[in-house]
Amino acid sequence: MANLNINGEQKSFDAPEDMPLLWVLRDILGMTGTKFGCGVALCGACTVHIDGKAVRSCLLPVSAVSGRAITTIEGVGTTPVGARVQKAWLDLEVIQCGYCQSGQIMSAAALLAATPTPDDSDIDAAMAGNICRCGTYVRVREAIKHAASERQT
Amino acid sequence: MTPAARRILGSVILIGVVGAAGAALYVRGPGPMAFSGGPKVALADYKGPNPTGVPANMTSASPIERGEYLARAADCMVCHTAPGGREYAGGFAFKLPFGTLYSTNITPDKETGIGNYTDQQFLDAVRSGKRHDGARLYPAMPYTSYTYMTDADTLAVKAYLFSLAPVRAAPPENTLAFPFNQRWAMTFWSALFNPDTRFEPDTSQSPEWNRGAYLVEALAHCGECHTPRNLGFALDNRKKFAGALTAGWRAFNITSDKTTGLGSWSDDDVVSYLSIGHAKGHGTASGPMGEAVDHSFSKMAPTDIKAMVAFLRTVPAVPSPDLPAKLAPPAPPSHRDGMTANALGKTVFQGACVSCHGWTGESALSPMATLTGAWAVNDPGATNVAQIVISGTKRHTPQGALSMPAFGKSHSDTEIAAVANYVTARFGSKGSQITASDVADLRKQTEQ
Repeated sequence: MANLNINGEQKSFDAPEDMPLLWVLRDILGMTGTKFGCGVALCGACTVHIDGKAVRSCLLPVSAVSGRAITTIEGVGTTPVGARVQKAWLDLEVIQCGYCQSGQIMSAAALLAATPTPDDSDIDAAMAGNICRCGTYVRVREAIKHAASERQT
Repeated sequence: MTPAARRILGSVILIGVVGAAGAALYVRGPGPMAFSGGPKVALADYKGPNPTGVPANMTSASPIERGEYLARAADCMVCHTAPGGREYAGGFAFKLPFGTLYSTNITPDKETGIGNYTDQQFLDAVRSGKRHDGARLYPAMPYTSYTYMTDADTLAVKAYLFSLAPVRAAPPENTLAFPFNQRWAMTFWSALFNPDTRFEPDTSQSPEWNRGAYLVEALAHCGECHTPRNLGFALDNRKKFAGALTAGWRAFNITSDKTTGLGSWSDDDVVSYLSIGHAKGHGTASGPMGEAVDHSFSKMAPTDIKAMVAFLRTVPAVPSPDLPAKLAPPAPPSHRDGMTANALGKTVFQGACVSCHGWTGESALSPMATLTGAWAVNDPGATNVAQIVISGTKRHTPQGALSMPAFGKSHSDTEIAAVANYVTARFGSKGSQITASDVADLRKQTEQ
């Protein structure tokens, strides 16, 4: 029986040590907000936070995260930065099909937590690994800047 | 011709022949175990525990089981299997500067494999490079290493191979250019470069060292990749294990040199690297070494791994002058700090690489994906960085399968050169300056 701290709650479950965190979240715990995209950490759809940092959960063995704080798209709205990002996403209607967007929001929230007023190069460095097949990149960039400015007003 | 003229001509010819023989012997150089310097005795006269065969706990195993262990230790399967093909059925392509060689089918199929080989024919092929029909093998088959194997071990390997299901599969024809397509010429190569002799223990060394010597030299054939080659494309044991470029990958220095070899690794580091293909702070085995770990070393007994390490420790230090004296520490956590020029390299890195490898080079996903401390990123030639980007890698680890995707089809030569230069500058102590044509050249060597 393994124990994980997810969105501030302790969750217990049975899973092999090498099972990727993403599978535990989706298939065992039923937390399907985090998406499976490519399975090789190339698309960003599965992004979660481990101790506040954006990490791809599709290749992360569950044994590597015991005792660490995991935040998923289901819980990120309870953090001030996460709430601002989600509001900016709604204000600017960033989402098109939506599949990649939980990953986009998780990467954006981690970026703003570490770099409150990011410039374009910071956004590129943090977001380039989050792929959107609808091409919402322009609105993603705008929304990140919007969320950053909301903090200051 | 006067008698005097005849004598002079005779002398000139004699001097020529002696000179050529001397030059040939000089090029051949010392054997792979000559460095130990101690007295060597025939195996039958050796008083210590038998350094050949299988580990002690397997001595009562059947010849097939012993052969399976030895075939793994000799890593026959990797070269004798085409990508996606049946094991041991051959067809793997060796891309050489003068054409392509294909490995042969060594399943017991009578028409396309080795099903008709007698014991003597098998011994001749594996240890003397002589095919059943008398034709010569090319030394892509490492018979100059396997030549040190005992009769019993070689025939145990045969027993194992003959226990496999026969696969009907003929490899493609070789495409070697003249004069390399003249197999008969390999007779001379073989006469000069194949010692065609069996392993002889060194009585001044420990039993563990002798076991390690047998495993490293006769079976694992480490030198075939890690020892530079001489003018005749044979191993130059004056620089034994000093590292070499082989098949589009760099096999690094594994001499006891403190700065550029294994001299500053602990025994546990080397054991770990061989057993699981990773040692903390020293990087991860990929490419051909990853395959050697997955299919060979990881299947070997811990006592055998330790024996190999004991032997490796005694290989004289030879420095690699092109490698930096110090490995770079982790890079700064922000993309702004550290390496900043090379915009294209950064663009590729942040899109395709950073999710796994991080801005510091220390992976948040797996220690096996950590770049910090690996020779590959500290190599100013960037061979392995560019090659792994082109080819990717797939490893089987105790924590399950782990792979890096191949980016060779999604990224151009220019982009791969740029990201390799970015990675070596950011995570290594001396950045590379490779070009798109270097990348094109590396691609050619690993295409199947």
